[in-house]
Amino acid sequence: MELLAQVLVSGVLLGGLYALMALGLALVWGVLNIVNLSHGALIMLGAYTSYFLFTVWHIDPFVTLPITAVVLFIVGYAIERGILNFVIRGPMFNTLLITFGIEVILTYLAQLWFSADFRAINPTYAGANFAIAGITIPTVQVLVFAIALGLTIAMWLFLLHTRIGRGIRASAQNLVAARLYGVDPKRIYALTFGLGAALAGVTGGLYGTVSQINPYIGGPLTAKSFAIAIIGGLDNPLGVIVGGLVLGIVESLTALYFGSTYRDVASFGVLLLVLILRPSGLLGRTA
Amino acid sequence: MMLRFLFFVAALAASAVAGAQTVTFGASVQLTGPVANTGRYYKDAYDFAIEKINAAGGVKVGSTQQKIALKLLDNQSDVNLSVRQYSQLLSQDKVNFLLGPFASNFVLADSSIAEKSSVPMVQGGGASDEIYTRGYKYIFGTLPAASDYFGSTIDALAKLNPAPKTVALLYADDSFDVSVAKGTRELLKKAGLTTVLDERYSTNASDFSVLLSRIKSGNADVVLVAGHETEVLNFIRQAKSLGVSPKLYSFTVGVPSADFRQALGKDANGASGMTAWLPSTSLKDQWFGDAEAFAKAWKAKFGYDPDYHAAAGVAAVEAFVNAIQNAGSTDPQKVRDALAKVSFDSVYGHIAFNDKGQISLPQIMIQIQDDKVVPIFAGKDFINKLVYPLPPWDKR
Repeated sequence: MELLAQVLVSGVLLGGLYALMALGLALVWGVLNIVNLSHGALIMLGAYTSYFLFTVWHIDPFVTLPITAVVLFIVGYAIERGILNFVIRGPMFNTLLITFGIEVILTYLAQLWFSADFRAINPTYAGANFAIAGITIPTVQVLVFAIALGLTIAMWLFLLHTRIGRGIRASAQNLVAARLYGVDPKRIYALTFGLGAALAGVTGGLYGTVSQINPYIGGPLTAKSFAIAIIGGLDNPLGVIVGGLVLGIVESLTALYFGSTYRDVASFGVLLLVLILRPSGLLGRTA
Repeated sequence: MMLRFLFFVAALAASAVAGAQTVTFGASVQLTGPVANTGRYYKDAYDFAIEKINAAGGVKVGSTQQKIALKLLDNQSDVNLSVRQYSQLLSQDKVNFLLGPFASNFVLADSSIAEKSSVPMVQGGGASDEIYTRGYKYIFGTLPAASDYFGSTIDALAKLNPAPKTVALLYADDSFDVSVAKGTRELLKKAGLTTVLDERYSTNASDFSVLLSRIKSGNADVVLVAGHETEVLNFIRQAKSLGVSPKLYSFTVGVPSADFRQALGKDANGASGMTAWLPSTSLKDQWFGDAEAFAKAWKAKFGYDPDYHAAAGVAAVEAFVNAIQNAGSTDPQKVRDALAKVSFDSVYGHIAFNDKGQISLPQIMIQIQDDKVVPIFAGKDFINKLVYPLPPWDKR
């Protein structure tokens, strides 16, 4: 019983990290209709940014998060204006190819600059934990969970209640009407992609604090984010929280009852089920 | 026109002469991709060994002294690409002999190319028993059998106080690690230890919280993990954050590698592992002097410490040179037969292959203590004191 409770707690906390991972990807996908295959590489860049700020200037990884977010926002904004903007009206296949290309370039630049060494952001409190009723709870993961939840809700409020947020939603829903009302799609798209990259950067900083960093972590993270975005749905940022939690809990329970090698079978099984039963995601609007 | 033709002939003749004076090795190694940080050991080992041997005059083939050349390709950590590259090295680049890639699953696939073309491959990157049980004649390896990786560790367990009783065995689902697990299971049975958890996980798994919780609830005294460096990093970090501290834990990878210790910092202390090689002065070598001098020269040249991958890679080159000199020829068949009979001392240890083509070397149990790799147990005796049982995380 205690084991089950411990595994459930781990699953929920893992779900928080998953949700944060997918948040930026879902935002860009929902608004620009681009499945950003370089999302994982941006997470990787964020992880390195926080890593160097921590090891070179000894800035606490949680304090570096806003800095990393700003750095990645600029990177994302530049990528959108400099590259993606030219193909934004192109077929989905083109944008997939371009973002894949960006992923490859970022990955290999990272190996050139940072080498393939494994690194970890390891402040003294990285392994801290506390116990409630015999269940061990890692402190940093709780913070990650709180940040994921906070950012998701902030994103939701931002989209609902600010002028730029409404512009972003309007562009996603009806571009022609949005333009007629004075929304500049070029600016909105670059802002959105920048925001997506900033969220990836925050994820990277936290990922490096709980896991490990090397130039090649991006691919699997993109795949996972993709699955979470589909499970949760793209209409609402809260969807990724649901998607992340479902995936985290399903994976953990599968590892407990069926064995660790079945984790991916289970997570992609859930993905298939969602695609068949609720194609627009668990929180998506049904057609 | 005539002049140009003469130049052409002259160039041809020159290249023919140059060709006659070099022995070319071909290799496809992981220079980029997820295992690039281990792949680099092989590139650097091949380069360094060939540079040293050439500086000493090269390799003696019959009555001529020849230089060694290396054609090295980057397989991007992709098995399928490495197979194509080894075919290309033989068919297009016409290399004389093959040096291996890193990792058992790569060697498994790539050695088929060597076997099909009847060109010998010597590799220091794959230890899986599977490589040597296919009856291949052209594959030789300088890493000892995967099934015995935990051999010295399990021998040491019997002499510990308090004696550990229960063991958890975790392994990734690839050729090398499955091979390690298979061998370890038998060793554990012989040692009379109870296995409370025996579980396979997916390669590149990043979340070990469930396995760690099961280790805790199963009260495993000892945890043995056969996996990859990223997994071991995650395992140790999550063990700390979940407060799981078995009396001893040991890993097939990472512990001897410099970047592993650097990534974990203090948290690496206490982790055990094994290595078939330590840079000691007792290992004499024709080209490098001894292993300690080799390790120093390596650090000075490449800026990081060598581990057994590096030494095993150098040994692969030296095995070829010895075999070519003994055969007095670069005929693949003759060199293959000479490889089967080589027996010499190297920076890595004594090199001789059994009838399957694999080297036999004992594993030395090691542990990270105060950020350094300390040899713990070899043969039948402790060399240094093992930190055992490991203190709980909050007391470290």
